[in-house]
Amino acid sequence: MIIILNGLKEEVAENITIQACIEFVKEGDPDLIVEHNGRYVYPKDYPNRILKQNDIIEFINPNLGG
Amino acid sequence: MNQIRYTRQTSIPQIGISGQKILANAKVLIAGAGGLGSISSYYLAAAGIGTLIVVDNDTVDFSNLNRQIIHSEADIGKPKAFSAAQSLEQLNSSIRIQPVNVEITDTTIAPLLKHVDVIVDACDNIKTRHVLNRASLKKGIPYVFGGVDGFNGMASTFIPGETPCFKCLFPNEERRQSTPGIIGPVAGIIGSLQAMEVIKLLLNIGKNLSHHLFRISGLDMRITNTPLERHLDCPACRGSFIKKEMSV
Repeated sequence: MIIILNGLKEEVAENITIQACIEFVKEGDPDLIVEHNGRYVYPKDYPNRILKQNDIIEFINPNLGG
Repeated sequence: MNQIRYTRQTSIPQIGISGQKILANAKVLIAGAGGLGSISSYYLAAAGIGTLIVVDNDTVDFSNLNRQIIHSEADIGKPKAFSAAQSLEQLNSSIRIQPVNVEITDTTIAPLLKHVDVIVDACDNIKTRHVLNRASLKKGIPYVFGGVDGFNGMASTFIPGETPCFKCLFPNEERRQSTPGIIGPVAGIIGSLQAMEVIKLLLNIGKNLSHHLFRISGLDMRITNTPLERHLDCPACRGSFIKKEMSV
């Protein structure tokens, strides 16, 4: 199925979870912020949150400089 | 108070003379006199915040000057807190500037927060931000977060007992972080937003960034404001909600 990941179309497995999606794109930032259809998702929900066709996902690397 | 200096903001209905008096009686702590602190402290001094405490234990370096516009070439080698204070005093001699040249820790921050109304996070590392977060929750002081990296920046406002806290969003207290490149204008945008958040919080006007994470990607001009919800299991702020519920 197709999701929109960081503004780009990405083909991923059906019923993929956010956790699996993070592993799929090899995103290794331990402080990664995830937004799912415009809503913030807490890390504890990554393994249970299942994505659907055309869902919009943003993987956000925190900006912590000053 | 010199009324002419503030005419262009006292003429705004939401501020007025009464609002200006509130700003004049306010006390704000700015943690960091780098890229973010340069901007937020300048605007807060210009707005007439009565007391600004500027905390930084670093010294001014040439590599700072692309974005830390409160400092200049003549300040190289000076402690940033004192360099910043000098610039702010030149901008507005009618307010009180308190430079503090110490590392921010759980021990050093506590005495600095007496009568402080808002904490501005203008620091450059996650460890200090967690110190600020703990202090904010302990003292019940709103905490205006900002961070920048490359062309990107983010900001939020954390209000103890009402909103998620910094640790809800960033649970890890350590982060392997190389010195990030930062383009000056993004520090300008986020620092300005932080100053505006402080003014609105002090005057209790408008909507602030509480319950939201503002983000800007300056390279492709994408701006988002993501709604945030409380993290019910957060070990840092759970107590502040319990305290608030008991006091209602």
